[in-house]
Amino acid sequence: MKKNGRFMVGLVGVAAVVTYLIWTGVSETMVYYMTPVELIDKVSDDPTFHDVGVKVGGMVIPGTYSRVEGELLHVFTVRDLVDESSTFVVEYRDALPDTFTDNIEVVIEGRLRSDGVFEANTLLTKCGSRYEASPEELLGTGQ
Amino acid sequence: MTILGEFALWISLPVAAFGMVLGYAGGRTQRGDLVLSAERTIYAVFGLLLVASIGVTAAFLGDRFEYWYVANYSNANLEVFYKVTGLWAGQRGSLLFWALLLALFAVITVMTNQKKNREFMPYVAGVLQTILLFFIVVLLFADVNPFERLAFTPADGRGLNPQLQNYWMTIHPPTLYLGFTAFTIPFAFAVAALLNGRLDARWIQLTRRWILTSWLFLSVGIVFGMRWAYEELGWGGYWFWDPVENASLLPWLTATAFLHSIQIQENRGMLKVWNMSLVLLTFLLTIFATFLTRSGLIESVHSFAQELKIAYIFLGFMGAVLAASVVLILYRLPQLRSENQIESFLSRESAFLFNNLLLLGAAFSVMWGTMFPLISEGFTGQEISVGPPFFERVNFPIGLLLLTLVGIGPVIAWRRATKRNLQKNFTLPVTVGAATGMVLFGLGARHELPLVTWSISAFVLTVIVTEFWKGTRARARIEGEGHVLAFFHLITRNRRRWGGYIVHVGFVLMCIGFAGAGYNTDSRFNVEPGDVVSLASPFGHQYDLTYEGLSMSIGRGERNLLWQAIATVSVSQDGTPKGILTTEKRQYTNRDTQPMTEVGIRSIVSEDLYLILSAMNDTGGALRNDPGAQGIDLQVLIKPLVNWIWIGCLFITLGTVIALWPSVDRVRLAREKAEGSSELAAAGAH
Repeated sequence: MKKNGRFMVGLVGVAAVVTYLIWTGVSETMVYYMTPVELIDKVSDDPTFHDVGVKVGGMVIPGTYSRVEGELLHVFTVRDLVDESSTFVVEYRDALPDTFTDNIEVVIEGRLRSDGVFEANTLLTKCGSRYEASPEELLGTGQ
Repeated sequence: MTILGEFALWISLPVAAFGMVLGYAGGRTQRGDLVLSAERTIYAVFGLLLVASIGVTAAFLGDRFEYWYVANYSNANLEVFYKVTGLWAGQRGSLLFWALLLALFAVITVMTNQKKNREFMPYVAGVLQTILLFFIVVLLFADVNPFERLAFTPADGRGLNPQLQNYWMTIHPPTLYLGFTAFTIPFAFAVAALLNGRLDARWIQLTRRWILTSWLFLSVGIVFGMRWAYEELGWGGYWFWDPVENASLLPWLTATAFLHSIQIQENRGMLKVWNMSLVLLTFLLTIFATFLTRSGLIESVHSFAQELKIAYIFLGFMGAVLAASVVLILYRLPQLRSENQIESFLSRESAFLFNNLLLLGAAFSVMWGTMFPLISEGFTGQEISVGPPFFERVNFPIGLLLLTLVGIGPVIAWRRATKRNLQKNFTLPVTVGAATGMVLFGLGARHELPLVTWSISAFVLTVIVTEFWKGTRARARIEGEGHVLAFFHLITRNRRRWGGYIVHVGFVLMCIGFAGAGYNTDSRFNVEPGDVVSLASPFGHQYDLTYEGLSMSIGRGERNLLWQAIATVSVSQDGTPKGILTTEKRQYTNRDTQPMTEVGIRSIVSEDLYLILSAMNDTGGALRNDPGAQGIDLQVLIKPLVNWIWIGCLFITLGTVIALWPSVDRVRLAREKAEGSSELAAAGAH
């Protein structure tokens, strides 16, 4: 029974380590996923939120994309999916994915600086990995 | 043909339902005629699903764009190869394909058990038909019928997503599905054991090959997916902890735990409830993975709403299976008592248990992280997600502990390890591990995680190599054989054990490869033709890359290609020319407007040089072959040790196949077992 007791300590120890890893892992790596409207509201309520990393899903406004000459810096404007008047400028310093166009839904991760520019560290385009079309879209193909 | 296929799918519904009832009734009443009929319905369902699958393939080959599924995953110009693989290119076909594979495995199970294990077969047939019936119901009633017709016939289909037009992507899904479906057989035997009350290790022995086969396909399938991501997604990574990847990892983690814990039941008669729970959990996770990989549940709430029906059907089925299995386990609880107790903290049983706990901990963390956006949104209304940093923070330490156990488990004694057993087996490996760490540190390795990983890997490899060496030496001495011959005979005489060790070697090699990522380099350049860029490899040599220029090739609609922009780069390593690499942008005619990137990879044993054509300075100019418009953004990655991931997978395959290989001659084996018991004692492992 004494042996079993020691064994139980070992098992509980492993469980505790895993729980600890998950707990600290979540609290240190979690990212708020917001819409542009929510983010703009949040930073105006709580200015410290300028330093918090967030993930934002929005729509790139056509015609706003430009690339700074000689630098790997991309600049474009993103708007809320619903409220078209909520917008901010995004700066992104990295290679853009193939799927990026200036008329696409993107998910960007970074922070909204106090000058109102969103500094993005990562950018994902949100195109369906499923690539399925509605009947209307299908009617349009092949013509 | 396609009409016939649709017909066959509808007919399979009552046949599977009938077979299910017959199976359970045959088991209850012990009536052989009912059981035989139940088994025959399995043949029938397989035949019907085969006809249905051929129907889908025929629709692809015949460009029948009036079918929604074909219109969305093919077009007239698509290569025939991809039309054939269209069966598993999307959700609808995949579900049919899943059912077909399961029916095939069910047929094999029935055929191989015509004369034996009759006490299991009625319920096995019943369970398999239940699962088949579920998939047929999903196909017919959850808005995912591959035979659904559009109200009109489009002139052409939308074609296949170019990213899926890759060799690895055609074999990755079927391989995973083979793994998922093969695991259904052990699950069916486990439920049959619960129903017929034969609760010793018999159901495990009967399905050992199925468990190994399933595990092999799962492992290889996951690695195929990594290889696809590495070659095709064009960012140099192979794993992104994306929900779909995680979904395939979950059953692998629990299946690996199961594979180890059943050995305790076989050897020591312990952990019976635990094994039942693991087989159930793994089966549920294969269903969950099938559901998740082909639906957008996690990615966005919007697609969830669209897929509400199929989501409810799947969750309902999983809930029902869970409830029924738990009730059965509780009902049989008195007979599932452990025959032995763990005697010591330092024993093989205990090492196996820790392995199980860690694997389940990893599975739990992956599940938690994957579902976290849904959980947080449900509880707080605010969607919070965790990304790769979370999964890495949790799973790297767990992975290192598991890696250490790979070294400890096989040589620590059953029941109770003595001080002598520990000293004899671990003095050398621990020394080698520590020395490896110090030497690497001396050579300038400073990243902690890779350093620790490589030290532990050296420890584990030393343990395994020593085992092989001891066994070979003992055999060579006793049988008077040469060492090479003795080595091969050693493996063939106890395939399970030595095959398992080879799998362990593969896992260690993969870990060595994963750790190499700590030394990845990533450089970006804007280059004009003739520019030379230099960069240093972490292994000390220097690459000089000369950008030779951009060449355009305008497609004529073949393979759906509109144009290809090919950047040519000549590579030299420490001043020696090593040939050229190309990286491309490709534009396909029929898909969305963005071009695709094809990367250029030069592989050597120690590392990969990975080139990405990130962007062209002036795409329009390049298309007109304007000589002034050849400037490009070139991204150059160096990926140390990445090849050891793929090499490790080869070892895993080899080891599993060895463990699976049927014994040639049981009689001879039995005779040798009697003669060879002294040899085993001399090998010092037991």
